[in-house]
Amino acid sequence: MKILEESVQRQKIFFNVAVLALSLFSLSHRQFSFDKTTAFENFMVDMFSPMQSSVTYVKTRTSNFFEHYIMNINASQDNTKLQKVVADLKDQVFSYEQVSKENKRLKELLQFGGELDLQKVLAQIIAWDANSDFKVLRINKGKADGIELQSSVVTSVGLVGYIFRLTDHYADIITILDPNNRVDALVERTRSHGIVEGYSRNRAIMKYLAGTEPVILGDLVLSSGLGNIYPKGLKIGKITKVERESYGITQSIEIEPVVNFSTLEEVVVLVGTKDEIKEKEWKALDDAEGDEQ
Amino acid sequence: MKNEIKHQLIPLGLTIIILVLFEVVATAVFPALGVKNYRLPFNILIVLYLGFKVESPYIAIHIIVLQYFHSLFSIEGWEMGTISGILICIIIGYLKELLHFSSAFITILVTQLFQVFWFIIMAAMLYMKMRDFGLIIEKFYRFIPESIFISLCAPVVFLILDRLWGVSSKEGMLGEEV
Repeated sequence: MKILEESVQRQKIFFNVAVLALSLFSLSHRQFSFDKTTAFENFMVDMFSPMQSSVTYVKTRTSNFFEHYIMNINASQDNTKLQKVVADLKDQVFSYEQVSKENKRLKELLQFGGELDLQKVLAQIIAWDANSDFKVLRINKGKADGIELQSSVVTSVGLVGYIFRLTDHYADIITILDPNNRVDALVERTRSHGIVEGYSRNRAIMKYLAGTEPVILGDLVLSSGLGNIYPKGLKIGKITKVERESYGITQSIEIEPVVNFSTLEEVVVLVGTKDEIKEKEWKALDDAEGDEQ
Repeated sequence: MKNEIKHQLIPLGLTIIILVLFEVVATAVFPALGVKNYRLPFNILIVLYLGFKVESPYIAIHIIVLQYFHSLFSIEGWEMGTISGILICIIIGYLKELLHFSSAFITILVTQLFQVFWFIIMAAMLYMKMRDFGLIIEKFYRFIPESIFISLCAPVVFLILDRLWGVSSKEGMLGEEV
């Protein structure tokens, strides 16, 4: 009996040590910029995510029912008012279209580089990360919809994050609020560079900004386009706190993102960003070399 | 509970199904209800149960499998939770003579205590990676409500898992009578 107990104990120690060693090894080799899924993980995530998706579907249908039927008391009056607003807006859109066409013509005349023709994939958020330490969102679009690893994710307001993990029909976005996400950014007014890092549920910090840069509260921070993930010029947030140390060479800056993450329901994934920007950069380099020769 | 792995496959499979259901509740149902800043770590509760009540030399294997399924719902990965889980089970092994689950209150208290150990181990690993104490402070503020909720769930969840693993709910640590 004692021999049996000792054998069980030895087995337990062996498995504990083996699994601990495996975990430490895997942790030390873990890639924190993106996560390539195996075929098994792909299958499992695609199998479990519809459960998460169905919860979102039920919630949307229920809230739609209440908002569009139960709470629909002054609909007729609202409809009349809104029709008038739509007519005004149509006039405005027409004038904006004219300005846009004129702008395009002028750019072509000045031989500006054309805007990147990015494919945009609209996706719905279906779940949040299981651990509150990570600010990660799961969307209902994946590889089958043309999304790629490290594609940028935005809303009409500004930058959300990038695709960290991808399966055939679902994808995980690591948001700019996550400490593992770093965005090369610049302050719009002063054009000073820094790195924006996630910090908490509603704040990000800007690091490595020289102490002499004259940034002020309310300055807008944009993506700089460096780093091969985010296109240039996406709005990240506004500066809400500036701390300058007397003898420090950098300053501590807090940013409030322009995107309201607590009410986020849909996002747009920009597909083809990385490759197209790279291609454009390589083409520019080739052209420059050709000119020199 | 028999020690052979073949006798533990079915309970483990059912435990994984329960974990997946809990993860769906934590990642989709609660956020849909407006709870977006807190996430309930049901994986910790299940790993603690295995440590408290399941006597098996394969406990490390069970933990790694459960953490792997948890990692499908989180970018945290399976590694840190596995390391914490095994270290907690080793601590439980040393304290097993002191631990008994004679009432719901004691179960809640013991679960809360070991969640604090879990937090300390995870915070230490997070600090080694990020080198930022501010993140640990913020994690601590989230940990308080999350861990209290999990501890309050413990008596009911342990009762369900007792059925799955064939452990009598009147038994104490490792099948001892209390």
